[in-house]
This record gives sequence, C-alpha cells and structure tokens, in this order.
Amino acid sequence: MKIGSKMSWVAKLTGLGAGLLCATFAQAELRVHHIELAVSQADTAKKWYEMHLPCKSVADRPMRIMCGGMQIELMARQSIGGSQGTSVNHISFSYPDVAAKMEALESIGVGGAGVRLQRFDDGALTRADEGIGVHGFIFDPWGTRIELVEAAGEPAFNHVHLHSADPAAAKDWYVETLGAAPSTQGVEIGGLPFHISQNAEGRPAGTRERAVDHIALAAADVAETSSELDGAGVKVRGPATPANARGDSQRSLLAGPDGVRIEIVDSQWDGIDYDLGGDPVAEVAAVTTPFEIPRTPWGEPDIQGMWTGNAAHGIPLERPDDLVGQDLSEDQAAERREQGTLASIWGYEREWRDTTLGYDKFQASRQVALIVDPPQGKLPTATELGEKELADAAARRLVVAAGPEDLSSWVRCITRGLPTMMMSGVYNNGLQIQQSPGYVAVQKEMIHETRLIPTTAKARPGIKQWLGSSRGRWEGDTLVVEVTDFNGRSKYRGAGENMKITERYRLVDADTLEYQFTVEDPTIWATPWTGMFHFKRDEAQYKLVEYACHEGNYGMTNILSAARAKDREINEPSGE
Amino acid sequence: MSIQRRLGFVLGIILISGCATTTATNNAGSADSISRAWDGRPDLNGIWQTLSTANWNLESHPAYGGLADIGVLGATPPGLGVVEGGDIPYQEWARKKQQENFENRFTNDTEAKCYLPGIPRAHYMPYPFQILQGDRKIMMVYGFAEANRTIHMDKEDPVPAPIDSWMGRSHGRWEGDTLVVDAHGFNGDAWLDRAGNFHSYALQVEERFTPVNSNVLRYEVTMTDEETYTRPWKMSVLLYKNLDEAAEVLEFKCVEFSEDLLYRHLRRSASTN
Repeated sequence: MKIGSKMSWVAKLTGLGAGLLCATFAQAELRVHHIELAVSQADTAKKWYEMHLPCKSVADRPMRIMCGGMQIELMARQSIGGSQGTSVNHISFSYPDVAAKMEALESIGVGGAGVRLQRFDDGALTRADEGIGVHGFIFDPWGTRIELVEAAGEPAFNHVHLHSADPAAAKDWYVETLGAAPSTQGVEIGGLPFHISQNAEGRPAGTRERAVDHIALAAADVAETSSELDGAGVKVRGPATPANARGDSQRSLLAGPDGVRIEIVDSQWDGIDYDLGGDPVAEVAAVTTPFEIPRTPWGEPDIQGMWTGNAAHGIPLERPDDLVGQDLSEDQAAERREQGTLASIWGYEREWRDTTLGYDKFQASRQVALIVDPPQGKLPTATELGEKELADAAARRLVVAAGPEDLSSWVRCITRGLPTMMMSGVYNNGLQIQQSPGYVAVQKEMIHETRLIPTTAKARPGIKQWLGSSRGRWEGDTLVVEVTDFNGRSKYRGAGENMKITERYRLVDADTLEYQFTVEDPTIWATPWTGMFHFKRDEAQYKLVEYACHEGNYGMTNILSAARAKDREINEPSGE
Repeated sequence: MSIQRRLGFVLGIILISGCATTTATNNAGSADSISRAWDGRPDLNGIWQTLSTANWNLESHPAYGGLADIGVLGATPPGLGVVEGGDIPYQEWARKKQQENFENRFTNDTEAKCYLPGIPRAHYMPYPFQILQGDRKIMMVYGFAEANRTIHMDKEDPVPAPIDSWMGRSHGRWEGDTLVVDAHGFNGDAWLDRAGNFHSYALQVEERFTPVNSNVLRYEVTMTDEETYTRPWKMSVLLYKNLDEAAEVLEFKCVEFSEDLLYRHLRRSASTN
C-alpha cells in the first residue's frame, strides 16, 4: 500500500487532515474488539474458561467472556482444526507464577472437559526462554493453543502470537495497512501486543474455521475503513449487517498476511447469533423446497464427494424404551454423543477428537435410533440360531488369543464387515464417493476399504468375499445396491453367509446423503429390518488421510504379547 | 519416429485442428484411435494390468530361483527390465541396501507383508486395477491390499500432502491426451519390486498415462529422489485393458495371508509349551 493512500484513509478515519502522524491516529482508532474462538458448546466453553483462566461472564451475552481485559467470543460452530499450525498460533495470558499455575492445571488432568498440557521436548511443563521468561503452553478442549507467560500482578490477557512465512513483510503490512505501531516482537494494535514469529514449516494455514477463527478490530466507521482498505488493494467483504447480527451495527471481513482472518466491526458491535435465523417455520419451508439432484455430465445422479458420518456417531441401533415416539432435543443429542465419545475414546486426547475428528463441526444427530423399520425401532425377534450366534460371539471376545485369528477382523485390520463398515465410529468416518459412467466407488476411511459397485447389469462373480458382492442400479435418483455372497467371516449380530443387504443412497439436499440399509437373514431374524442415517458433505476440509491400519497395527503386537504374558501367568503362577 | 507414426501424427493434427479439448501428441497412434470420455479427454475407465515382469525386478534380469520349499512358485521369470538405460542409478550405499533387501526379500518385501504398495508399484503388480475417471477427480482402485489413490486434478495449484503416507498424494493434469500426475508425500517404506529396489521419503514421482490405442496405455514414470539416486531416472511399462466383460477387481484382503509371517513369534505355540 502506498503511503499516500494510507494517509488519506487515516485522515478520514480521524477527521483530521493528512500530514499528521498517521500511525499514531490509526493506533488510537483501530483497537482489538474481540477474539473469536470456535467451541462445541458455548456454555461448556464458558465454564472452562471461567474455571481455568482469568475469564468472567458478560451479562446478557451467552457467548461472550471477558478475559483479563480481552473480550472473547465463544462461537458454537464447526472448526476444522486447532490454532497451532495457523497464522494465529496462540493467544497468551500472564500469571505471576507460571510454574504454579501449570502445576495446578496438571492436577486437573485431561478427563472430562479438562486441560491439555503441551510439554516441551524434554517433558517439562515450563521453560525459561530469553526474551520471554518462564512460559508454558496448554490447549483448550476445542483446539485453541494458549500460552502462559510470567508477569507480576493479576492474571491478564498478554498478547496474540502470529506465525508467518515472512514475519518482516507481515509486520510491514500491519504497520502500513492497519496503522499498527511497530514493536520489538511485532506490532501493537490499540496497545495490544501482537508477536510475529517465523513459522517453522513454511506458510501457516489460514485461520478461517480454525479454533481461533478471527481477530476483530473496532473502527469508528466500518464503511470508511472498508472502503479505504479496498482502495488500497485489500480484498474486503462487506461492510454489511449480517442477517443474524445482534443489533444493526456493521462488519467487514478481510484476510491479513498468511491468512489471518480479520474482522472490522463497529465499536457497538454486539456479535452474531450462530443459530442462523432460528425461525422454525422458515426452516421447514427451506427443507420442503424441492431439491434438484445434480447430474454427472454423463447423466447419472451425482452423489460424488467427500462425506463424513461424524454427526451420526452415537446413534444407537435400537430405540431406547424411554424415548418412544420422540426425537432428541439438540442438547440431549449433544450430550449423547459426548457420553458415547468419552466412553470410547480411550486414551485419545479431547483436542484431537474435537478437531481432527471433527466433533465440533456438525451438530450431533437428533435421531433416536438407527432402525427405522420396524417403526418401533427395535430389531425383529431373533431366531434360536440368532440368539446362539450372539452368545458365541460374546464368548469369543473373552478368549485369550492364541494368534491373530482369535481376534476380530477389525482388530486385524481386515474389515469391519457390512453393514458395520458404513456406520459411524469414534474416528475415521470419512466416506469418499467417486463415480464414472456405470460405476460408483465407495471408499471408507476406517481401515481403508473401497467398494467397487457396477450400476449396469453385471453377473456376480459367484465367489464368497468378506464384503460379498455389490450390484447397483439407479432407481430414479436413488442408488440401490444389493449385496450378497458374504463369506460369513465377519458376521453382523450372527448374520453371515445367508445375509442380504440392500442399500439406498439418496441426496436429500446438496450436503446431506441419506443412507438406508435393509438387512435380511431369515436364519437370524424373523423379518428384514432397515436402518438409516445421514452422511454430511465435508468437501472443503476433509482430506481423506490414508489409514494404513495393518501397516501400523502395533495393537496386534501388543495384544498378542500381552496374551503370551497371560499364558505364562497361567502356566507359571507367581510364588512357585 | 517411423514414417507410419509420423503420418499418423500429421493426420492427427489435421483431424483435430479446431477442437478445443484434444491435442495430438506424438505418443498416440492417431487421435481417433483412442476411446474418448464425455468431455473429449481420453477415456481411461476400465480394468488395467501390465504384462511385464516389473514387479519381480524393475531391472533386466535372467530367471532366478527363490524359496526351495515352494519349488518353482518362488522363482522369478526372466525380464527385459523397464528402466530406461538399464539400471537404476543408485547412490553407492543405496545399491548395497538394495542388495541386502534382495537377500531378505521373502520376509522384508512390503508386498509379502500385505503393506500398501505405493506409487508407482501399484500399477505394475500382477493384480488388476480399475480407473474411475469422473468429472472432478480420477480414482484408481488396486487389486492389492485394498489400495487406492485419488488423483486431484489440481497439478497447477496443488494442495500439499497433509502427511506422509504409503500411497502419497497425487495431483493430475491433462496435457493433450496424456494424464500427467505428480505424486509426492511418501513415507519411503514401500519397496518398488520383489528384488528389493526401493526409494526414500524424498521421492517425487511424475507419471504419464498416454493411450496408445483404446486398449493400451503407456505408463511412463520419472523417479526423483536425491536421497537414494544419483539422478532422476525413468521407467516405462504398457498397461493392457481387460476386455473380459465379467472382469472385475475382486477383493484381495491379503492381511490374513501375511499374519503368520508377521506374528508367528507371538503365537501360542511358538512361545509357550
């Protein structure tokens, strides 16, 4: 940006003529209004920040906290990852005794909505570094990296720490474009220090939709500021009053160096409601507006894309007895997923679960049970063989494994079998669908399995396989796939070789894929039954990272060596 | 270039001049002898497999034996080699390593362990693979170890590999009738063949899939790996389309066949009385 245009912008902002020390005025003019963090639930996050950091609720603002002089907005919304690795690497609070504070946080542990501590390479929680003093790092449960630095006095917000591929250029940008004051460690905006460090691994990721989504700066006149920035070649979105804004003040959005998302707001800015609209009548109307299924260029319904079953995790197969004839409230659904996840994440860290696993990204499904037919949501009566199969399977799980064959095909990284492989678990719920004329490939992230489904008439191979053989056809806009010829070695509740599964894939809107599966096996159940859940499109972020399950199956080695230790315990009881 | 091919090339230019979606290359016999997809690009859909012995040994080799107790099943058929110039230009240490690998091939080859085959090996194994050419991405699904790859058609502005992996990340682009793919982001653990040829995590692969006619693809690969080789080198194999209407890439979940090799020492019989 040219100096001249900066001058005129600052002059307009302040109502003074050019020729004065513009940076001083800009600094006085632009100040940090708030920092926005993505969390899974505002209430939980608020409690977390109040409990662990110097934060207090703000009256009448369910999502805002005041943290040692800094306003923080806690937005219940999807986040695609933590702040580390982005251009806003962390935020920082000061404490008079960092070691004592870290020790107190360590005693809380990671259980529940706990605190995750980030240790230094030597395992220490704190370290004294030149120019910084004693400091340490923690994460909030939603992926925001937080530094604690030592400073006398009451605990307070200390600084925002930016990472950049080119710190000098970034600094220049903040000084020249936003009128920030240069400082030894970076810049100051409205008196708040922004440290700028070299990012170790090239260009950091942008902050949009990450745990620290953006930094909001307050301007006296958002429209003027936006227009001046625009004139200076900065791409500015807005100003506008978002439909879900509280009050009528305006905001603009722009991207700073290295993709730091910056919001320019009125000083009276009162945030937005994330609950978009919230008018139930409008929502129903939107859902019932006919949705036109897209077509591939060769004329087949197009269900391609990157999908995830994350939101469906935690839906039980059968309807609980106390939930006859009703759906869950959003809170109940979130609670259920939380409980289900906590019960099954074993040693996984929450931050990893919430961000990498995408648990923050979508509202938990309010569906009460997977089974939609029979309508009461219960499995049909099991046959005698069905009961026996379940009992046998339960007994097999207690066996001390003599070798890999005694373990489940999932533990062995062979397959979860059908229909289980399509269902959501605690991780790796990605589903990629690729189409070519006459074929649909369904790739499931867990274990890594790709099903090749012909949609034209094709004879079955006539051999038994783990996932049987799939034959598809388009019925209108629905992909119907019939799967038979299972080898029966990865049974579903006893159903194996005689099982037939009929799947129905249908887009209900651009971002929702309804997946229905009908399971038939007269040797196991008196009647067929049908389950249903939704996959949500997750094109922008979800990179289906290779799950090399077998290649990294340390679990197998550990299970078998533990089983051999168990054998020895039995054969050579201690004390003999 | 033979007279015949030169004529074909010239004819190709005449035939397709003015057509925006295709360009002749001197690799194709002529522009209209190959199948075209809905958008005029070559249609690579189908099930493909090589006839070469590349998976046994990329370098030229006479026949040699293997494990005596499985007789001829363990032997290697002779092959002309698929490496341009004959041998892979290994750094000195790397050639030694390859020879060590060769000696231990029956236990250490990643194929024996049912590990993901990596790129380019997945294309010249004695297993079929299917290409699904969509309108946005191209997926290749391999008949070995449930492997697959997605070719993101973003070679001009590639999204880097999120993490190193066995199959890497692939960025494609059409150059005339040739699908050009850059693959990178490998963990460096996959072997290139059963003879212990290998690469490191630094491998950068450029692949060129060029239709020779409707049923044959020329698959050319440039391997760049400064950690392992003295210079970039090239290999090339032909891939043939399986024209059998019943053909399909069947399930080959090979994990269970590798378990005894990998976990034998942890079996009950091996460690207890």
